[in-house]
Amino acid sequence: MKLVCSRDALAEALSVAGSVVVNRTPAPVLLCLKLEAKDGFLTVSATDTEIGLILGVAEVDIREEGEALIPADKLNQIVRATNDEAITIEVDKNVANIRGKDAKFKVFGFDPGEFPGTPAFEEGPVEFQTNAGTFRRVIGRTVFATAVENSRYAINGVLLERTDRHLRLVATDGRRLAVARGECGSFEGEDTSSIVPTKALNVLSRLMSDPDEPVSVRRDRNQILFKVGEGPGAPVLSSNLVEGSFPPFEDVIPKDQDKRVEFDAGDLSSAVRRAALLTNEESKGVRLAFADGTLTLSSRAPEMGEAEIKVDVDYAGEPIEIGFNPTYLTEALKHADAQTVLIELKAPNKPGVIKVESDFTYVVMPVNLA
Amino acid sequence: MRIQKLDPTLINQIAAGEVVERPASVVKELVENAFDADATRIEVELQGGGRDLIRVSDDGGGIDPEDLPLAVTSHATSKVLRLEDLQAIGTMGFRGEALASIASVGSFRLESRTADHEEAWSIEVAGGIAAEPTPCAGPIGTRVDVGHLFRDVPARRRFLKSEGAEASRVAEVVRNLALTRPQVAMKLVSNGRTLLEFAASDDPRQRVVDVIGREFEDHLVEITGQIGDPADGTLASVWGMVGTPEIARPTTKKQRFVLNGRVIVDRSLAHALKEGFRGLLEPSRHPVAVIHVDLDPGRVDVNVHPAKTEVRFREPRPLHGLVRRAVREALESTDLVRDIALKPPEPSDETSTLPGDSVSHRAGSSSRGPGPSTVVPTTSRGGRPDPAAWRDAMRDAPWPEDHADSEAASPLPTVVGRDAVLQIHESFLVTQDSEGLVIIDQHALHERVMFETLQQRIATGPLESQRQLVPVVFDAEPESVSGLETLAPLLERIGIEATASGPRGIAIHAFPSLLLDRKVDPGPFLSELLERHAAGEIDAPDTEAALSDVLDLMSCKAAVKAGDRLRPQEIAALLDMRSRIDRGASCPHGRPTHLRIPIPELERRFGRSSG
Repeated sequence: MKLVCSRDALAEALSVAGSVVVNRTPAPVLLCLKLEAKDGFLTVSATDTEIGLILGVAEVDIREEGEALIPADKLNQIVRATNDEAITIEVDKNVANIRGKDAKFKVFGFDPGEFPGTPAFEEGPVEFQTNAGTFRRVIGRTVFATAVENSRYAINGVLLERTDRHLRLVATDGRRLAVARGECGSFEGEDTSSIVPTKALNVLSRLMSDPDEPVSVRRDRNQILFKVGEGPGAPVLSSNLVEGSFPPFEDVIPKDQDKRVEFDAGDLSSAVRRAALLTNEESKGVRLAFADGTLTLSSRAPEMGEAEIKVDVDYAGEPIEIGFNPTYLTEALKHADAQTVLIELKAPNKPGVIKVESDFTYVVMPVNLA
Repeated sequence: MRIQKLDPTLINQIAAGEVVERPASVVKELVENAFDADATRIEVELQGGGRDLIRVSDDGGGIDPEDLPLAVTSHATSKVLRLEDLQAIGTMGFRGEALASIASVGSFRLESRTADHEEAWSIEVAGGIAAEPTPCAGPIGTRVDVGHLFRDVPARRRFLKSEGAEASRVAEVVRNLALTRPQVAMKLVSNGRTLLEFAASDDPRQRVVDVIGREFEDHLVEITGQIGDPADGTLASVWGMVGTPEIARPTTKKQRFVLNGRVIVDRSLAHALKEGFRGLLEPSRHPVAVIHVDLDPGRVDVNVHPAKTEVRFREPRPLHGLVRRAVREALESTDLVRDIALKPPEPSDETSTLPGDSVSHRAGSSSRGPGPSTVVPTTSRGGRPDPAAWRDAMRDAPWPEDHADSEAASPLPTVVGRDAVLQIHESFLVTQDSEGLVIIDQHALHERVMFETLQQRIATGPLESQRQLVPVVFDAEPESVSGLETLAPLLERIGIEATASGPRGIAIHAFPSLLLDRKVDPGPFLSELLERHAAGEIDAPDTEAALSDVLDLMSCKAAVKAGDRLRPQEIAALLDMRSRIDRGASCPHGRPTHLRIPIPELERRFGRSSG
């Protein structure tokens, strides 16, 4: 195999593919990226056995077709550190020679036959198609709220539901719940519901840089496949689905909140971030006190200090004081996309709700402040 | 005061009981009498482990010849006359039965001379019949000879252990007695060989060191403290010396408590001592300690047991707190980082200095439960036994309001050069301080830091608690479910809200933010906590001890583990946090957090000095 490739295009592809590769594994081939030069394209493949990614690099001149298996981190570092416009890669007997203008690297690789392989996006009908902008938004609004390494595996992923043309993504870590909605451009077949691992959605988000590109989705037994864009070389991400059932979440969304107030998402986020400056590991809650026309945010970390931020609000309801983990608020507000948000409350020990129109509903449980 | 017959109603007020069961109890009674006679030198001699002869000689005030016949009669004493006096016992012997009891179980001869007389007088008792006193030559003071102990009581005699074992018990009694009277010179001789010899000293520390063993001297920490007001009689003071954790023992044998000059066995004081060491000792180790407690005699009932080893405090709680804080404070201001290679002294077992088989002695004492009679004397109310020195020193010492006072300077040596910290095997941090190479167990240190932080934090109110969107439900044994109710007040303080969910299920509604942040799974955590409670490891929910146990568990779960790779910032933060803690030298489970290889040890190992 021998090729000359645009440094920028290669760096971008390797960076995304590298995010699939796991850091620690007993199988060295899983630390590698597979390069394949064929039909005028360079394809880069990566897998951690749960998730697989194939993406093509078009800005390439194939001198000799072939394939190679090269450690991902070294390849990434070499390409990223190079300033040359083009990079030459030549592979002979599992040894990669990478050359720039003034540099020559020899990297020992592995037999490409040992690579487990990644599923391809078969021709034929897709389950649904939507634009990358929409998909990226609904993923962003949910993926942060998933649990990390929770023993209830189902909530370590995001629930992806389609009812006709309506998409709904749901995530929870047991303390908060994020529900985001969007529309499909086209769909086919019965309604579906499955749980997608957080990592797969994070990688997918990185692939969807152009909001107008179509994203096609199809399911194959316990796998879900995403294709971003069209044509040969369009990135294909495959992922095993998370087994188990997502906890019933509808009941958790409160319907009887009696205190409502609107905010500019950016203003509220800034106030919460500032109040959070005086919190620490043992006292991380921020107190929100709503009274006639004013929201007072305050925090106190023993032995460190206190903070108080006042925000003018259009609130005339009963005064209420409630504590929240500030991170839980700012993460949601960040994904409100600088719009107006509606905050709904009921009581200090009851959940708070953040809403952006009907597209985004976020339920967050309070903390009992000391 | 002259010797008189006790009022019969008073006789009944005094709990009945036999005082004399073996040579050690005879020695105890006789030495106490010597103390009460203001002796400055007391010598105890044994023949045949005390079976053949026990002789106690003192240089005290002596007994008037006319009083001699009365002295060997039951319930005769010079110390208690009325019931009211019993409420405030300041002397050692008071039951008025010792000499008579002793005289009834062996051949008995008492020889005494007061300063007013030119000659000594002796009286002999045989078969319960006292002969007429006869004059003889002798120094001022009293000498009692008890021979052929239990000769006429074969049942008792059969229960005596070997000669060596009985001598060991006598030695133990003499040590206890010696602790209570540092200003009295004491000597124990057995079969002509001197077993113990304590020089009179005005410094009680000297006596403690003599009794505990000189090899421990460098590992003893002095404790002091007091509470209350002398005006209303609530004053209680504590003084003592405790051994650092590295000389802790597998048993409580090296712990002695002295209450108003009387060695006692008291579970609550022993517990207070252990609490003071909380987190510094593994559960199976027990501190070495001598602790003197002084309080108004009206606040303690010593007349619980004929041997007076057990007492009943009117208000045990403040006393418990006093001892615990005094111990804790002293340890906090001590550098407890263990030096490697400086081998902690293995104390010579006390009994091994004695002839005869110490094995049978040990077996004997362990089967008997809480040791032989170990009571000791005090002079009357006017003359408290303890040298004024430490009392004055104690009064001058400011007493902290509460234990939240951890302003005390950190006892940990300063780590030099934070950049030069090496994490090895993702488990240990290696650095240096002014004295040598320091090795830190990252988990143990972080655990200790979290424990202290949580303790300080919880003193100001319940821990911050994150409510659950959906309760975390887990299966639990019925005893865990029922434990939920008992532990409810404790759980509330640490920020856990949980309810029973059926007979075999538990639902968690709120969980401490801190633990969630540290990725501690609520279900397994509470499950373990409740299981430990069911197993009796976490006791009554309202005590500080139980809270400490739970905070231990929280810190352990939340701390970085061995195997966690730490970033340089994390290492720096962890080392910084050492200053927030007052006893970083051990994790809450008592394992050390730091070890040090001193430079001299390194030099020695590398052959650079012979040290």
